[in-house]
Amino acid sequence: MKYEITGGPDYGLLKVRFEAPGEHVVAESGAMVAMGPEIEIQTSARGGLLAAAKRKVLGGESIFQNTFTARAARQDLYLAPPPEGDLRSLDLAAGQTFFLQSGAYVAHIGDALGLDTKWGGVRGFFSGVGLFLLKLTGPGTVFFSSYGALHAVQVGPEGYTADTGHVVGFTEGLNYGIRSFGGFKGLFLSGEGLVCDFNGSGTLYLQTRDPGLLADFLHAYRPVKGSSG
Amino acid sequence: MEYRIEHGPAFAWLRVTLGPGEVVRAEAGAMVMRSPAVEMETRLNAGYRPGIFRLFVAFIVALLRKVLGGETMFVNDFRGAAAGGEVVLAPALSGGIVQKKLGPGRSLFVQRGSYLANTGSIDTRLRFGGLRTLFGGEGLVLLECSGEGDLFVNSYGGVVEVEVDGSFTVDTGHIVAFDGTLDFNVGSVGGLKSFFLSGEGLVCRFTGRGTVYMQSRNLSGLVGWISPLLPG
Amino acid sequence: MHFEVSYRPSHALGVAHLDAGESVRAEAGAMVSMTRNFTVDTSMSSRRAGGLLKSLKRGFLGGESFFTNLYTANGGPGHITFAPRLCGDMMVHELTPDRSLVVQGSSYVAAPDSVVLDTRWQGFKGFFSGESLFFLTASGHGPVLIDAFGAIEAIELDGELIVDTGHLVAFTEGIDYRIDKAARGWIASYLSGEGLVLRVSGRGLLYVQSRNPSEYGKTVGRRLPAREG
Repeated sequence: MKYEITGGPDYGLLKVRFEAPGEHVVAESGAMVAMGPEIEIQTSARGGLLAAAKRKVLGGESIFQNTFTARAARQDLYLAPPPEGDLRSLDLAAGQTFFLQSGAYVAHIGDALGLDTKWGGVRGFFSGVGLFLLKLTGPGTVFFSSYGALHAVQVGPEGYTADTGHVVGFTEGLNYGIRSFGGFKGLFLSGEGLVCDFNGSGTLYLQTRDPGLLADFLHAYRPVKGSSG
Repeated sequence: MEYRIEHGPAFAWLRVTLGPGEVVRAEAGAMVMRSPAVEMETRLNAGYRPGIFRLFVAFIVALLRKVLGGETMFVNDFRGAAAGGEVVLAPALSGGIVQKKLGPGRSLFVQRGSYLANTGSIDTRLRFGGLRTLFGGEGLVLLECSGEGDLFVNSYGGVVEVEVDGSFTVDTGHIVAFDGTLDFNVGSVGGLKSFFLSGEGLVCRFTGRGTVYMQSRNLSGLVGWISPLLPG
Repeated sequence: MHFEVSYRPSHALGVAHLDAGESVRAEAGAMVSMTRNFTVDTSMSSRRAGGLLKSLKRGFLGGESFFTNLYTANGGPGHITFAPRLCGDMMVHELTPDRSLVVQGSSYVAAPDSVVLDTRWQGFKGFFSGESLFFLTASGHGPVLIDAFGAIEAIELDGELIVDTGHLVAFTEGIDYRIDKAARGWIASYLSGEGLVLRVSGRGLLYVQSRNPSEYGKTVGRRLPAREG
């Protein structure tokens, strides 16, 4: 199996080329763009229904995932995340851990990859975006997306602060605390709500756009209940 | 007439320089700006030189879609005055613009939301790929474009061209346009379980030989992703 | 203090680099991340009298009130990153004392304190939904960070141009605008989907964006679940 990511950072797209029958990729439901005729799609609740339900409740992701399996050689599968933005791959060695904001998960290769949902802390009630984390443990390759471009920050001993809505993921070795930003007045007026203070050392991945702000913007354009159009 | 596609691929717009009397037709609401000398005229999109019957059908469809909350069925004709002029056009969503030259025997099916503009005698006829489409679902509303001229289509996200020779499956929400030489049918992706649970909605199966233009983002996908974050 | 813009044009991120003691004033909600040594002070630049409560209400209802945060670097240099609500480009306009800049409300991002911001109501509310413009006037000297929905086109205007209301970003002193119907008649203007347009005239620099936020909002919004009235 080979894969290629094109269209980044504007609109990342993953193209998987299956080279032998039986090769497979697991993807978040709804990620399929297109595929060759000899690919089978199987829908399942990964890790059993209970584990899936836990992920659904805690992580906000969908319960069901699709496994795409090649029935023949030379079959192409295209996958894309929902938001406008980048798509990246990350290879995890056996035992290596990465924390990913659960909504950023797109797909993975490798049956041994561990996916566990962790309670990330206070729900960001102001922007509506909580920090729910998937703990990914290698070996395997994971594909994740960002809303906007993906911006990597090397965090050192002096620490770093990021708006919760912009956090995509971070490597092992970083820990964080969530606090409201700018005190009480700041919480309600500054528009920033909650921020994450990162400490330790490692790489922090930020997305250059905040889904919560897009949701706030679109709210005004929703249809209104009980009125036509 | 000259045209340029600028600011692509992320946020492309189409800049058209019109000579005296030259006309470019565009989707309603697509105008970014124009020189004062360019005149704009609004028409019901019933195709090129429609008869009474097609005007009537277009009117009914326009009414239905307006009520059901779909796109409008109006187009604007921009005409260069004696001194010519310039008009700039852009789609509503982010993404690119692709130009296709149409001629005899070279028709193109375009997803309704991907139509941006055309020149010449290009005729657009509505085609429905499945019943759900009429009711604002995820199905496929297509414009069959034929005639002579330049056709400009827009993508949500990037454009990916796939040369189909045999069989190929594309999620209906990711279709921009495809050659009229291809056969297609709309259905579900897997078995009954996948139809309800996979989240993949409807797909279009292409067979034959021709080019499919896909877009790397899907409006339904965006809607599904952002909905849980909406306030109240 | 100086600005740097990365990830242009689709998902631009503005970075403000500050020396110890320097400040930058930014639109509330624009902060993405920052080094640890900043203090923040929120102030409300209400464009109409009416006090905090009214301003708050407008902020939630119409997104029209204008809160800014003043970020000050303490004890050493630091950086702070800013992003717009929606996807698109950002750029720096160098303001000179002889030529002020009129900026569409949602396109203003940040500037140092040498730039004076006048947030008094200027603009209009259209007869068609989704069309309203609210302008800020920036005067003084220094860099002004502005954003756009889509790409930014800078036009050296000398004459007249008809611009859709949703595509205007900013223009310099010396340019004037007049609101007009898009087509000859009112009904045609409505059906044309263009509603109102701006007839922009004079000499100066005009910034136009390649996408219209309200067209985007309407296209996505009509597919979203209905909200309570």
